Amino acid sequence: MSDLIRRQPSGITRSGSTLAFQPQLLRELLAFVLDGESYALPLYAIREILKVPPITEVPRAGADVLGIIGVRGRITTVLDMRRLLRVAEAPITKASRVLLADDGVEVLGLLVDQVLQVHRLQDDEIEIASAFAGNVSEHVLGIGRPRASRSVSREGREAVDPNDILILLDPAHLLRRDR
Amino acid sequence: MANVHEEFLAEAQEIIEALSRDLLLLDQAQREERQDPDLLNEIFRAVHTLKGVAGMFGFPRLGRLAHGLEDLLDDLRLGRVALSQGVLDVLFEGVEGFQRLLTETDDGEPLVDLAAFGERIAAVSRRGPAVRGDALARYAFDDSVLSVLTEYEEHRLRSNIEQGVPLYRLRTNFRFASIDADLEALKQRAKPLGEIITYLPSAEGGTGDSIDLDILLASGEPFAALSEALSGEGASLEPVPRAGEPATAPLEPGSEETVTAAPPARAASSTEETSESAPEASLAPAPSRALSAASPPAALEVAGPPVERSLRSVSHTVRVDIRKLDHLMNVVGELAIVRSAVARATERLRGRSEQRQLAIELHRVHRGFERHLEELQDGILDVRMVPLGQVFDKLARIVRQVARDHGKEVRLLLSGQETEVDKLIVEELSDPLMHIIRNAIDHGLETPPVRELSDKPATGTLALHAYQKGKSVVIEIEDDGAGMNEERLVETAIERGLIDEAAAEELSHEEALNLIFMPSFSTSTSVTDLSGRGVGMDVVKTNISRLGGVIDVESELGSGTKFTITLPVTLAIINALLVRVRGRTFALPIASVQEAILLDRDAVRTVEGREMLTLRGATLPLCRLGDHFGLSRDLFEADKQYVVVSAVGHRRVGFVVDGLEGQQDIVIKALGQSLRQVRGFAGATDLGDQRVALVLDAPGLLEELLSTTERARRELHG
Repeated sequence: MSDLIRRQPSGITRSGSTLAFQPQLLRELLAFVLDGESYALPLYAIREILKVPPITEVPRAGADVLGIIGVRGRITTVLDMRRLLRVAEAPITKASRVLLADDGVEVLGLLVDQVLQVHRLQDDEIEIASAFAGNVSEHVLGIGRPRASRSVSREGREAVDPNDILILLDPAHLLRRDR
Repeated sequence: MANVHEEFLAEAQEIIEALSRDLLLLDQAQREERQDPDLLNEIFRAVHTLKGVAGMFGFPRLGRLAHGLEDLLDDLRLGRVALSQGVLDVLFEGVEGFQRLLTETDDGEPLVDLAAFGERIAAVSRRGPAVRGDALARYAFDDSVLSVLTEYEEHRLRSNIEQGVPLYRLRTNFRFASIDADLEALKQRAKPLGEIITYLPSAEGGTGDSIDLDILLASGEPFAALSEALSGEGASLEPVPRAGEPATAPLEPGSEETVTAAPPARAASSTEETSESAPEASLAPAPSRALSAASPPAALEVAGPPVERSLRSVSHTVRVDIRKLDHLMNVVGELAIVRSAVARATERLRGRSEQRQLAIELHRVHRGFERHLEELQDGILDVRMVPLGQVFDKLARIVRQVARDHGKEVRLLLSGQETEVDKLIVEELSDPLMHIIRNAIDHGLETPPVRELSDKPATGTLALHAYQKGKSVVIEIEDDGAGMNEERLVETAIERGLIDEAAAEELSHEEALNLIFMPSFSTSTSVTDLSGRGVGMDVVKTNISRLGGVIDVESELGSGTKFTITLPVTLAIINALLVRVRGRTFALPIASVQEAILLDRDAVRTVEGREMLTLRGATLPLCRLGDHFGLSRDLFEADKQYVVVSAVGHRRVGFVVDGLEGQQDIVIKALGQSLRQVRGFAGATDLGDQRVALVLDAPGLLEELLSTTERARRELHG
């Protein structure tokens, strides 16, 4: 964590990221759980949250690919967020959800363990990774430390541990696949 | 913004395609030493329109190119420059330039050297006008007539006089109320007979609600025939007096030597084709003249631009983004799923005796729904269909260019342009066809001297035939060139290490020819800019197989080569056999299924590590799909298994599956971009109940299996 430094939002730029031009969008985040840790993706990148439909496995597809689902007539590829982030695999549970994320090229489904809530963070609640000194994955954009009072729980209650941290993910890097 | 850009691209593309077609016709006319002023005008207007559109949407480079061509065309139109093959080359080059400019981006490399092209235009324009005596003096024209002629009209007049085409004056009277329709009708009647040079308000003027018009007409037809066709109802025909002749001297039959008149602009068939394949082409300013009482007759400047047109569009077509149709297709797919849900509910209701009446009613409603849904589906599929003529036209241009570049003479025969296939297929088809055609001209057809040595006509023939055969479309590309040298093919394949000598000996004639479809195979010793650019026939084959089609080749040394491409008419909806493999459901397009039989394990033999089955005397290689795809066995393996015999072209394979789930019409949907490299699947389909099944790419799998068999055999022997 010592690699994290506080910065003003005007400096929230990571080259190549679409976020560079939209610092205000960065502050609306969807938080979800993977293997007990809280992660967040910018809300603008998420189209929809689905209960996990039957997933059709695609033989010979890449390791990250769980399979395909039909979303209102469109065939959508579902990626396993655990595999993407190199987290130990776990079976799908009742709490599992598929996030539909639009990376500009196609809409991809992302399987997560559980969806938490939407956070609206102030600038001082976000710590942006600098160069990350090579010891944090490319797709990690920074760390969010939401103060509980500002959180908007989906159930309308404030249920977050104030000490919770969110690992902010960069959708552009996360979803960039070999095409 | 993106939309505006697309709108421009679509419109420009259409204009360019129409332009290209017209240039080919002009080329043909020039070769036959015919003049076709109407056609030249059409081309001029198309370029003019393109210039306008380019300016409107902010494509200055395209505008510049159009402007240069427009000037050249204007010179041609006015006879300041004579039409020659050299000029045509420049015009064709211009069309290519337009095409390339459309793909140019602001920050990318410029794809067209406008300055150099400008010089080429200047070079052909510089030849100057042909010096000619004043032909106009041969006729006794009134100065009042000559003074109102536009430059273009004057040129047409001279040109006709020089060619010895007799001139006539048709005195007519039109009522203002119906002048548009009447004039149009008259023009239609006159068109096959000759050329209307101008319309002039007659010296006598007209009455309050009508106008007298003198029409100056050039025609090689006998006076009597002309008079019969055009006179009557206030119209009278008389020859224009020659200089020194009394004004009313009747023309003696046969006194005028009839020289070939400018023939009726185009063959009816080509006009039809144009209107069919690009209905919008008719939007290109058709000389529709809005004449009303408000516009004084003196403003009747007719031939040539600027052309006013009615605001009401002539065409009844709309341009639709194919993605919107895809979306509609998706909706229809969803509706089909709703339909089956309703059917199931109805079925359940029927089981209850107290609800029988309701069930019967619901059943009837459901049948109606089903019928209309089918109609809707057919309708959308129909909208997606476009005539193959669209791609044939592009190819005709390439044929001309490649033939000229290689000093070969090629006669292109086209048939079946009206055959319709899905828009998507047409798009994907143009590159493979182009490649085959280039090969045919480059490697297939011989140069005229060589052809004459082997007693063939100097002009080679390249034929493109398309026709529908059941639910498939067949396209044949046939040339009467040198044919393929089987021995050389085999030698090359051995040299490239594609096969070994032992395997080479076993090759049948067909198999030897099919070597050309192997990756990195090319027999051309000289790398030309056309065929030797590394894209081989294997790519052609892959592209066609991706469309669910097959390509076959026949060739006879010395007499020519014929490629036959068989494609499905549509990609969108197909009938499929649903099969179960280790608990998963896959769809196999019925077009590639020959039969399904129960697997008799005792009949399976293993040959060179590969399972084979003898089916009615022929050997059928087997493929256990579960193993081939590496599917985990945890779901189950049935004790009863089936063999689905799949055939593509003349190759067959038996897919071993665990169960058959029946046939179903499915809507194939593309897999996402991220799964594009995954081979073996043509897409996926929604089965309803939220279930999605992968659609097997039978041609692709077959290809894959046979090439691994081939490799296995080689490893064993080698």
